[in-house]
Formats: sequence, structure tokens, C-alpha cells
Amino acid sequence: MSSIPWPFPDPRGLVTSLRTRANQRVRRWARKRQGTDPDTTTLGSGRVYILPTGVGLLFGLMAFAMLLGSMNYNNNLSFVLTFFLIGVGFVAMHQCQRNLVGLELTFAGADPVFAGQSMRFRIAVTNRSKSARYGIRLYAPDTYSDVHDLQPGESKVFVLPVPTDERGWISLDRFGVRTLFPFELFRSWAWLHMNIRGLVYPAPLNSAPQPPPTMVAHGHRQHDARGEEDFAGLRRYHEGDSPRHVAWKAYARSGQLLSKQFAGADTSSQWFDFNEIAAVDVEKRLSILTRWIVDADRTLEDYGLRVPGTEYEPAHGERHRQKCLEALALFASGDA
Amino acid sequence: MARPRGTDGSLLSSLPWTLAALLISLAPHVPFIPLWITAAFAGCAIWRYVIETRRLTLPATWLRAALALGCFLGVLATYGAISGVGPGSALLAIMASLKLLETRKRRDQFVLLFLSIFLVMSSLLREQYLWSLPYMLVSILVIMTAWLRMSAGRSQTARQSFATGGRLLAYAAPLAIVMWVFFPRISTPFWAVPIDTSQASSGLSDTMSPGDISELSMSDAVAFRVTFDGAIPEPRDRYWRGLVLTRFNGRTWSGREPSISRSAHDQIQFGGNRIDYEVTLEPTRQQWLFALDMPYTWSVSQSFMGPEQQLARSTPIDQRINYSATSYTDYRVQTDLSRQYRIWYSGLPEGSNPRTAALARQIRAAAGSDRAYVEAVLKKLNEEEYYYTLEPPPLGSNPVDRFLFDTRRGFCEHYASAFSVMMRSVGIPTRIVLGYHGGELNPMGGHLIVRQSDAHAWTEIWLDGLGWYRIDPTAAVAPERIEMSASDAAFDGIGASWGLAAPSRLLHQLTLTWDVLNAKWNEWILGYGTETQNSFMKWLGMNEPSWRKMLLTLVGLVIGIVMLLSVVMMLRYRPPARDSAAILYQQFVRKSGLEIRTGETARVFARRVQASGAIPPATVTTITESYLDARYGQGGAVACERLKQAVGAIA
Repeated sequence: MSSIPWPFPDPRGLVTSLRTRANQRVRRWARKRQGTDPDTTTLGSGRVYILPTGVGLLFGLMAFAMLLGSMNYNNNLSFVLTFFLIGVGFVAMHQCQRNLVGLELTFAGADPVFAGQSMRFRIAVTNRSKSARYGIRLYAPDTYSDVHDLQPGESKVFVLPVPTDERGWISLDRFGVRTLFPFELFRSWAWLHMNIRGLVYPAPLNSAPQPPPTMVAHGHRQHDARGEEDFAGLRRYHEGDSPRHVAWKAYARSGQLLSKQFAGADTSSQWFDFNEIAAVDVEKRLSILTRWIVDADRTLEDYGLRVPGTEYEPAHGERHRQKCLEALALFASGDA
Repeated sequence: MARPRGTDGSLLSSLPWTLAALLISLAPHVPFIPLWITAAFAGCAIWRYVIETRRLTLPATWLRAALALGCFLGVLATYGAISGVGPGSALLAIMASLKLLETRKRRDQFVLLFLSIFLVMSSLLREQYLWSLPYMLVSILVIMTAWLRMSAGRSQTARQSFATGGRLLAYAAPLAIVMWVFFPRISTPFWAVPIDTSQASSGLSDTMSPGDISELSMSDAVAFRVTFDGAIPEPRDRYWRGLVLTRFNGRTWSGREPSISRSAHDQIQFGGNRIDYEVTLEPTRQQWLFALDMPYTWSVSQSFMGPEQQLARSTPIDQRINYSATSYTDYRVQTDLSRQYRIWYSGLPEGSNPRTAALARQIRAAAGSDRAYVEAVLKKLNEEEYYYTLEPPPLGSNPVDRFLFDTRRGFCEHYASAFSVMMRSVGIPTRIVLGYHGGELNPMGGHLIVRQSDAHAWTEIWLDGLGWYRIDPTAAVAPERIEMSASDAAFDGIGASWGLAAPSRLLHQLTLTWDVLNAKWNEWILGYGTETQNSFMKWLGMNEPSWRKMLLTLVGLVIGIVMLLSVVMMLRYRPPARDSAAILYQQFVRKSGLEIRTGETARVFARRVQASGAIPPATVTTITESYLDARYGQGGAVACERLKQAVGAIA
């Protein structure tokens, strides 16, 4: 195609941009109107919105055509049919709205993930009424949960997967809950603005350099009757480890070289220092540190972390790992 | 190009219901559409179901396109048209069948359900029997259930879907009734209603050729029903005037096309008592209207009286109509007839039925006057051996001669024709009236049922000073035919021949009851039109009903009902009532001055209350244990009472 500039705005683009702007306005209005919701919110009828779907519009068009036909043929039975369908439309509208009103939504946490994984926000929806609720779905921009039904008194956890690309806090400013029940003629929905956030760790770098050498503190050897030490666990193989101590069975299983650690053996500890990494880029350094922590954690090695402003003594365990990764996630974000 | 892959069985929960919805909406069409379409639908439905259960692939696009083209051409070849109720419903059935073969996702079934709604609608345009309403309601229920199976959450069982569909329909019922009653009816259509030619005409024929077709319709089909405001006229006066035949070509009597005559009504002098009645006329696909001889007023829009006092509407009666009319059985018509008209009304073709003409001249010469001549002819028919039969022999050429001199067997048409020819042979103006005579009184409904088997032909002769005067030659031959209605006679015959009067009487009673229901149905439901609606609105207390007022009432009532519905639904969705133990415990919580934290159990909360010292620790323990016992244990009412006392005791 030639590239002669078209003097008029692209009509489709114009419509899209108008729609986007209208959407934004409506959302800002709703946000202003509703304010920030507490972590547990019960949907009142004033905040459940409803509009017909495409099928609903088609249904309305069909009912109108049938009305014209009935009038033309002056056929009282087809009037009955037409008015029944219109009545069903009215009832469906109310049923659709009622299907949401009174639901209780509670933020049920979001586990930290590494950047690039999707953050799974968990929201518990409870039906405290005497009737079942059908076809409930949560959604947020570009994502939605599975559809679930809620029996009377039932509570289910809906998961909203949100893609992440950078470390730090990711917040879910707005999410919606919606239903198409009973006939998909109407869509009713409610917007919620809770203070929901989840932590994103830096992505572990795949081709990370070797971690700094282990500092060995010589322990006090205790030999049992057979001259063997007590087996304590596995750690990553380092150059210089005795081949005798390599866990060959584990190697056959996982393809990773691990060394057996023995109680009373030398305790090794590593310091992962932000400033000692040769890379220039801050994010890359954080990624490298993340990789080291993840690997060290897997091999039960003690490690300490030193980033400007924060220092964690060598240790291991879930809590230590979380603390360290959190420090990396929030490094220099002013949010720590 | 992506080839259609195998189905995944995800439609198995909704497809059977969609098929049921299509089946139930197609069933009323089956007698009217060609067999191959029904077969095509059944084939496609089974095929599609097997595809889904066996996880096969859907038929290829080219195959579906070929099928579609074939079916479309088939419909075109069968009907020669694609508009109208007949071809329309055939096309709908075809579209549903073919759409089934490309239904892949749950949402594709929307189209099928829309199609089945249209099928229900078109079946209603075709027939509106008493059972059509319940059948339609069942159809909608099945369609709604199928719709729910398709769109609702997966945890809903078919039974729940059915119950939900029924509940939503029940909610919609008051709305539908209000809209039906108050929606203003208009009497003139927007566009021409296509005539469904698949239904044969069941009315009277426009011409009469006695002896050509040697059988008379004994159809029990109802021609019209009449409700009288006052007393019902005697059987001998129940002549329902229809069309008038004036021309005779030797074999066939024919009349003119319906045409307006401004003077026809003025030519009548009415006398005696006025008779008010209401007629519900079944569709005849002809223009003629029927009224008691002689009509004075009739309330049918765009209708008129023709030159021979026949009533007609400017458009054929394609739908049942309801009209009120008044008549006088005592009347004189056109006492003054010009010479040209006298010649016109006594015209006979040259040389036809010569024996009859000779006989007529002979009797006329002997009689001396026209009146004496008429009496002599009637006497001849009465006293000589003429028989009334519904199955007379065929007559060939010069049918009147053959009938009068040879076969001597016939029904009303034969007698009317022969009598008219005899009158015309001596120059007495004569015409034949086709209509109905008699009618069966339904004692339960208080109305008269006039059936096709009551069709009748009689004559009118013009005598100087008397005007057009009705003479029924059949009455001279078979007076009982006139005193009793044909169906009564038939009924007595059946009862006697079986020797079982009682059971057939019971059967007759049932038939009459069914007829009453049908009559009420026609009157109140199907006949609910502009006039009925207006009078109903007046009965409801609306002053000068207009479409504006009705629409406003409709909107107001719909809003009211919707609000009521909203309340009903709110109650359905309210949280279950807290039990009394929980209410008492809430009082305790309030009195303690603390709040239960999220996830805190009653016992943990009790420790906090005890620590706070606001309530004596022993009381707290009593309350907590009684509450737990009443709510979750076996304590029941006793524990609840203990709880009540303990809570009440807190200062």
C-alpha cells in the first residue's frame, strides 16, 4: 500500500479511543463514588451495575419483531408468547442483578512470585444467602478467573492471575465480579477497589556467574564407631569437595551434582554481596543475587546477603529466604 | 485452513435439551410441512447427537453447504415460494437442522433456541386451538430450560435448570398477563397477511350445480357460533343468510362478485321484534358474512350489503371474527321491482330443461294466479314421491328435468334449483340464497352452534305487492329437516342404530362441554380485539378507553409488578435468619464492650472478656458454653434458655 497520509482520523481508531475514554471516565466516576473498599466487602445493590449483552439486544430485537408480527396478524396467542418472552426478559434482568447483590468478597492473599510469573491474587467469595449463585467470575484488566457456582453458605476462592514483569509491589487497584446468569441476556457486574498488593521478586538470572567461594569454618569432627560422620543433608557441589561425598544417586535423579553434608563437618557459609558483583546494571545484579539465593536455598546452604542498606547474617530456611528476596524485590524502591 | 476437529463432548449437558426444545416446537408443524423436512430434521438431530457422544468430527463445510442448497431448493420446489407461514416454517425447520450440524460451542445453541422460538410463533399463526396455549407454555419452559443448560454454571443439574426455568416463567406470568390485557389492539394490519393456501376452504362454494357432485358435506366443523341477547328464535326462523345466486346456465347457478349497493338496505322494511345477537365466524377465506335473515345492523369494519341483501367484507375472512348484529325475521324487501330487473331475475337459457318448462306452463295455466301457482308447485313437491336424501344419483345434462321427472331424489340444492327453474319458466323473478339453516343449541353455553352440515339453499321469489319472499322448497319435501337441525337428526340415527342411546348421549354431552370451552376460548382469548378490549376496559372502570390510557396503565402496572418482583427476589436472596442463640450471643458481645476479631473462636473471645474484667468470669464461661451447646451441641432449647438468663443477668 502507498503511504499517502490519510487526512482524516481512522474512524475505527476514533471509536476505540472514544470508547476507552468513556470507559475511563465511568471507572473514575465509580471509583470516586465508591471509594476504597475494605478487605472484606459485601456488595450492596447500589454498586451492582447491569447492561444487556449482545444476545440480550438480539433477544429484544426478536421480541420487538414478534410484537409487530402479533399486531399485524392480530393473533392473541402470539401476543401471549411475545409478552411472556418480554416478561422473561424483565425477570432475567432482576435475577441477574440479584445474583451478585449480597455476595461477600474477601482478599485472601497473594503469594510472592518471581518477575515474569503470574501473580495469583486470591479472593474468597462467600454466598451468605439462602439461594445458590450461579456463573460468578472475577475479572481485572486483561485477566479473569474461572467461573464458579456458589451454593447457599458456600465460600470459594477465586484466583486472578496477573502477569508481572518487574520486581516490587504489584497492586490490584481494581477488579470486578460479574455474572451472565440466567440467560446471558444481561451482564451485571460490580467494581471493587481494595488495597490489594503482592510482592514480585526479581527474576532469577539463568546464566548467572558462579557464586563467590564458600568460606569454610572448620568444625569439630566427631567420628562414630565406623569412622563415619552423621549425615546432615545435601548441598551444592563445589570444586574441591571430596568425590566420596558426592550424592551420586541424587545426581542420577536430578542431574545436579550435590555433596553430602555431615554433622560436625565443616560449616560453610557464603556472603552474597551486591557490591561485589561485576555486572553494571542494578537489575541484573539483583537477578544474579536472586539466582544465588534460590540455588543456595535448594541446597540447604547457609548464605548471607549484603545489599546497600541491608545485611542478613548467613542462615537458611524459608523465613530467611523470604526476608532476603523481599530485600531484593524492594531494593531502592523507597517502599521497603 | 483449520480443519474441524472432533467434538469434545462439552455440549452433552445442553444438547439434549436444545434438541428437545427444537422437537417440541417443530411437532405442531409436522402435519403441515413435507415429510422430507421432518425426516431431514430427525436425521440431523440424531446425527449431531451421535457426533457429540462419540466425539466425532462435524461434517465438512462443503457437505453442509451442499445440504443447505439442496434443502433450500427442495423448499422452493415444494412450495414455489419462500414467504408465508407454510414455507416460512419449513425454512425454519431446515435452518435448525443445518445449524445443528455446525453447532460447535455452547453459544452456537443460541441460534437454535431463537429458531425454536420462531417455530413456536409460526405454529401459533397457523392454528390457535384451546390446547395451543398450554402447549406453548410447555414449549417455552423447555426452551428456557435448554437456555439455562447452555448458559448457567456447570454445577446446575438439569432438574435445577428446569425448576429455575419454571420459576422465572412463573415470575414472568403476571407481567405477560398485564401486557396482554392492556396492550392496545389495532384492527387494521400493517401489511397484507399472506393467505395460507395449505388449508382448504371449508365455507360454502360460490356456485351451485346440483347433480354435478352428488354428495353434501356432512362435516361437523363449526361454521359459526351465535349468542343471542334475548330469546333464541324458533328453528323455522333460523335462516342464516349468506350469498345469493341469480344466474343460471342450465346446469350451474352463480352469483355476482361481492359489490356494494347503496340502496339495498333502504329497500327493506323491517317489522316485528328486533333480535340482537353476536356471531363468532370461523375463517372461511371468502368475503361473505352470515346473519339471521334479514340483517338490520352488523358491526364488521369494511363490510357492506350487496344488491341482493347479501353481506360481505371487502377482504376475505382469513381469521376468526366476532361481530354483533341485529335482525328482524319479519320484513319486506323491494316491493317495487322495475321491469328490467323482473326480466333479469327470471332469465333462463334457451332450450334447457324443456320438460320442466312445459310442466310449469301447464300448472301455471291451471292455477290462474302467481300465488296459486306457487302453492300448486309446493303441493306437487310435497305430495308426489320426492325424497330427501344426502346421496342422490348424478343427473347429467338437463339436470332439473332429470331430477323432477326421473330420479326424484335430492337435497336442498336440488329442490331449490328445480323450484327456481319452475318459477322462472313462467316469469316469476327468483333467486337462490345460500347460507345455513338451524343450528344446535348448546344448553351449557347458551349459544347456537351452526356447523358446515347445516349448510342450506333456499329460494326467494318476487311477487307483486309482497316483494322478495322466502320460500324453502326443501321444507315442502322434508319438513323435519327444517324443524330439526341436520345434526340432531344424525345424532338420533346413530343412537338408534347402535341401540345405545345412553352412552352416545354422554358422548354428546362431552362434545357440548368441549364446544362451550371452545366458544369461551374463541370469545375471550382469540376474539380479544379492539371492541372486546374497549368494553373490558370500560368494565374495569376506564373512562373512554384510548390506546394512550391503556399504554399508560400498562407501563404503570409493569413497573409495579417489577418492583414487587424485585422484593420477592430480595427475600429469596436474603441471608438466613440468625437463630436466637446467635442473637443472644451478639447481645453479650455488645455488653462486653469488645469486638470479635476475625477468626476468633468463642472460647478465645471468652478469655479476652475475662481478662478485661467487664463481666464476671463465671458468667462469661456460662454464656460461652451455653452458646456453643445451643448452636453446635445437643443443648437445644434448654441451653438457649440458660444463655438467655445469663445474658439477661449482665448489668
